[in-house]
Amino acid sequence: MTRATDRPGSPTVFHERRTYRKRRVMDAARVTPVLALILWIIPMIWPQEGDGSVSSATALIYIFFVWAGIILLTWGLSRLLADVPDESSDSET
Amino acid sequence: MSTLNLLVAVCITYVLFLFFVAFAADRLALQGKKAWLRSPLIYTLSLSIYCTAWTFYGAVGSAARNGFEYLTIYLGPTLVMISWWWLLRKLIRIGRTQKITSIADLISSRYGKSSLLAAGVTILAVIGTTPYIALQLQSVTLSFSVFAAQSDGLAAQDQAQLAFWLSMGLALFTVLFGTRNLDAKERHDGVVMAIAVEAVVKLIALLSVGIFVVWGVSGGLSEALNRIDASEFGEWHTDRSRWAGLIFLSAAAFLCLPRTFQVLVVENDDESHLRTASWAFPLYLCLISLFVVPIAVVGLDIMPDGSNPDLFVLTVPLALGENGLAMLSFLGGFSSATSMVIVAAIALSTMVSNHIVMPIWLQLRPRGASVSGDVRAAVLLARRLSIVGVVMLGYLYFRLSSGGEALASIGLVAFCGLAQVLPAMLGGMFWRGATRMGAFAGLTAGFAIWLYTLYLPSFGVGTILPMAIIDNGLFGLEWLKPNALFGIAGLDQLMHALLWSMLFNVVAFAGVSLITFPSPLERLQAAQFVNIFERSANARSWSGGTAQAEELMVMAQRILGAGEAQALFQRHARRQGTRGDLPAPTPDFLEALERELGSSVGAATAHAMVGQITGGMAISVEDLMAVADETAQMLEYSARLKEQSEELSRTALELRNANQKLTRLSIQKDAFLSQISHELRTPMTSIRAFSEILRDTDQMNPEDQSRYASIIHDEAQRLTRLLDDLLDLSVVENGQVNLNLREGTLRDALDRAVSSAAIGEDGVQLKIERDAAKEEILLHTDLDRLSQVFINLIANARKYCDAKAPKLVIRVMQDADRVVIDFQDNGSGIAPDAVDMIFEKFARVSDQKAGGAGLGLAICRQVMTRLGGSVDYVPASRGANFRVVLPYRTALAAQ
Repeated sequence: MTRATDRPGSPTVFHERRTYRKRRVMDAARVTPVLALILWIIPMIWPQEGDGSVSSATALIYIFFVWAGIILLTWGLSRLLADVPDESSDSET
Repeated sequence: MSTLNLLVAVCITYVLFLFFVAFAADRLALQGKKAWLRSPLIYTLSLSIYCTAWTFYGAVGSAARNGFEYLTIYLGPTLVMISWWWLLRKLIRIGRTQKITSIADLISSRYGKSSLLAAGVTILAVIGTTPYIALQLQSVTLSFSVFAAQSDGLAAQDQAQLAFWLSMGLALFTVLFGTRNLDAKERHDGVVMAIAVEAVVKLIALLSVGIFVVWGVSGGLSEALNRIDASEFGEWHTDRSRWAGLIFLSAAAFLCLPRTFQVLVVENDDESHLRTASWAFPLYLCLISLFVVPIAVVGLDIMPDGSNPDLFVLTVPLALGENGLAMLSFLGGFSSATSMVIVAAIALSTMVSNHIVMPIWLQLRPRGASVSGDVRAAVLLARRLSIVGVVMLGYLYFRLSSGGEALASIGLVAFCGLAQVLPAMLGGMFWRGATRMGAFAGLTAGFAIWLYTLYLPSFGVGTILPMAIIDNGLFGLEWLKPNALFGIAGLDQLMHALLWSMLFNVVAFAGVSLITFPSPLERLQAAQFVNIFERSANARSWSGGTAQAEELMVMAQRILGAGEAQALFQRHARRQGTRGDLPAPTPDFLEALERELGSSVGAATAHAMVGQITGGMAISVEDLMAVADETAQMLEYSARLKEQSEELSRTALELRNANQKLTRLSIQKDAFLSQISHELRTPMTSIRAFSEILRDTDQMNPEDQSRYASIIHDEAQRLTRLLDDLLDLSVVENGQVNLNLREGTLRDALDRAVSSAAIGEDGVQLKIERDAAKEEILLHTDLDRLSQVFINLIANARKYCDAKAPKLVIRVMQDADRVVIDFQDNGSGIAPDAVDMIFEKFARVSDQKAGGAGLGLAICRQVMTRLGGSVDYVPASRGANFRVVLPYRTALAAQ
C-alpha cells in the first residue's frame, strides 16, 4: 500500500528529508522521457542544406550520446527507486 | 555439399536447439527451478521480440534508402521504456491485477468487459499482424535465396515451399510450447527462454557484422565515421514530419503490438523486472542500431548498383568472403523471424480463441457453460487451431503479395494500424471518463481511415482500391482521395494516414466519451484501472445469491482442469473456513474464480460463464445485504425484547391483580371464618342452652317444653342447612355430582323456583315479572340443579334487594346457540369492586343481612359449569343483573 506520506494530496504538508528526496527522484523518473524526447527532436531543427548543416557522423554521434546518457540516467534512477516501498504486489493469491 | 544444403542443415540444427532450449526451460520450470528462468535479464531479452527480421535486415535497407530515419523505430520504444515509472508500471500492474491475457482483453476489460470491443481489437490485430508474419517468411526466403544465388539459385516454387515448411515448423513449435498450459497468465517459460536465446543470437550476429564492417572493412571507428561523411549520407537530412511521426508511431506500436504486449505485460513475472528492463532494453536497442549506418554505408560502397539494400547484412560478408560471418548473420535474421512469428502466433491465438472463437462457440451451445462437454479441451483446440490459422494466414498473404514491397513499408503499415488502439488504451488507463462507446467510436474511425488511406493502397495501386478512387476520390469526391483527405496533398502517405487516423480516432474517442454515459461495470473498471495503485485488487463484485458452488466447480474443472480447479476451490474453502471442499459462492470467491477463468478464456468470456451460472447479477449487493441482515436481526431482537417486556409487565399486572384478589379473599375468608364460627356458635349456644333447660327443669309445662324443643329443632335445622350447603359445594366442586338428566320446560323449572323462593321466611313478598310465552323452551338437563340455581338467584334478590318495593324481572332470550335467562332486580346493584368476588366461596357482599354462608353463588357457578353453561353478573343500568346462560344444544337436544 502506498504510505500516506507518499500519496499526493495527503494531509501531511512537509515530509521528512528522505521522503522528500524519494519524491523528487520519482519526479525525475517521470520527466526523463520528456528530456529524451526533446533531445531527440532537436535534429528536426538542424539546418538540412547549405552552411551550418550537420554532418552525418556528428548527427550519429549526437544521437547515440544522448541515448547513452539517457540509459545511464534511467539506470541511476531505477537504482534509486529500487527501495521505494512497492504497493501490495499481489493481493490476489 | 552445397551452401544451400549446409544452410538447411544449420537451420534444422538451430531449430532443434531451440526446441531443446524451450523443452529444457519448461522442464526446469516444472521442477520449480524458476529463479533464473525468470530473471530481469530474461525479461529484458524477451522484449527484443520487438526487433524482428524487419529490424535485422530492414533497418540497414531503410538506412540505405532514407538515411537516419531507421533510428526512429528504436527511439520510440526507448522513450516508452524510460517512461516505465508512470506508464509501464501501471500497465503491468493492471495486467497482473486484472489477469489480462492480451491487448484485446485489456481494452475489453477496461470498457466493461465488452465482447464487441475485444472482437474488434482482435480483428484489427489479425489484420495488422498478418502482413507482418508474411514479412518474416519473406525475409527468410530472401536470405535463403541470397545463399542459393551463390550456387544454382532458388526457384520461386522452392521459395514458396520453403516458406510453407517454415511456417508449418513454426506453427508446430508454437503449438507445442505455446499451448502447454491453458492458463495464458502462466508464463510460457520455454517460449520465453527460446526468445531470450534468439535475442542474444541476433544481437551477436548484428554486432559481429558491424564490428567486422567498422574494424575489418573500414579500418577503425574514425575511418568509419569519415566514410559515413563521405558517402551518400553526407549531411543530415531527414523528412522532419517523418522523424517526429515515426518516433510516435514506433512508441505507439511498442505498446500496442500484440507480441510486444504479450512479453511486456502478459509474460511479466515480477514487476521489479521492469526496473532493470527500463535501462537494459534501451541499451539493447541502442546496440542493435549502433552499426546499422556503417553497414549500410559499406554496403552501398561495395555492392553493385541495384542490389537489395535490405540484405546488406547478409550480402556484405558474403561479398567479402566471410562465409562464417554470413552464416551467423543468417542465423540472426532467422532468429528474428522465427521468434516474431512464434510470439505473434501465441498472442493472436489467445485473442482469437478468447474473443472470437469461444464467444461464438458458447453462443452456439444451447445451454451455455455447464452442459456436458469439455470446455478446457475446446479452448485448447481453439487456441491451437488459431495458431495454425494465424501462421497460415501469414503464409497466404506472403504467397499473394509475393515480394512486391520493400520490407520496411509493410512493417510501418502494420504499426499504423495497431497504433489505433493507443488512444483507447491510454485513455482507459489515465482517464476515468473514457467510455465503451467512446473507445468503440475512436477505434472504428481510426481503423476505417487507416484502412482507406494506408492499408488498402498498400496492396498496390489498382489492386483493391480501383484507380478511379485514388485519382478522383471516393464517390468522385475530391476531398475523399485516399492520399489527400480534405484536399491536403503533398504529405508523405504514411504520415498522412497516421495524422488523419489518429486525429479522428482521438477526437471520436474523446468526444463520444464525453457525451455518453458509462454502465456501472464500466465505471467500476475505470476506477480500478485509473486508480490501480490506490486500490486493492478487486475487479468487480459478484453477488452469489443463486450461484451454486457445485455448478461452478463443474465449470471450473472443465476450463482449468480437475486438479487445478479442486486446488483452487479447496484453497478458497479453507480461507472461508468452510468444511469440505466447496466454498460458499461469496463475491470474493466469485471474483477470484472469474479472474482465474479469465486468464484461460478471457475476461469477457469468463464473465459470461460465471454470469450464466450465477444468474448474471453484476451488482454487489452481498455486503449491503449483510449489513441489512444485521440491522434486521438487531431490530428483530429489540422487537422481541420489547414484546417480552410487555408480556412481563402484563404478567406482573395480572399477578398484582391476582395478589389483590387473594388478599381480599383472605380478608373475606377471615371475616367468613369469624362469621361462620359465630353462625355455628349461635345456634349451638341456643341448642345447648335450651336442651340444658329441658334436661334440668323438672316441672315444665308442656307449652314451654314444646316451644323450647321447636327452638332446638329450628336451630338444628339451620345448622343442617349450613352444613348441607358446604357439603353441596364441595361435592359439586369436586365433580362428584351425578346429573339427573331429564326433559322438562324452562317454565316448569322457573315455576318451581319462584314458588319456593319468592316468599321468604319473614314473609316478604318479592314481586316477579315473567313472560311465560318465552319460557316455553324444552330442555334436556338436570332440572333440579337448574332450579336450585334459579332459587338461589331469586332468593338473593329477595334478600339483598334494597328497593322499597322489590321487584325481579326474569327475561328469557334465545339466540342461535344459547338460551339466556336474565334476573334483574330494581335494587342498587352490587358495588363494582365487589363484582369479581361474589362468585367466590364464602363471599358475601355485605353483612347487613346475614342470611347465608356466602356459598350460594359459588354453588350456582359450579352447577352451571357442570351443566355446560354459565352464570355471570352483568352490569346493568340499574339493579343487579345475573345472567344464566345455557348452551342451546342442551335445549335443542330436547326438542
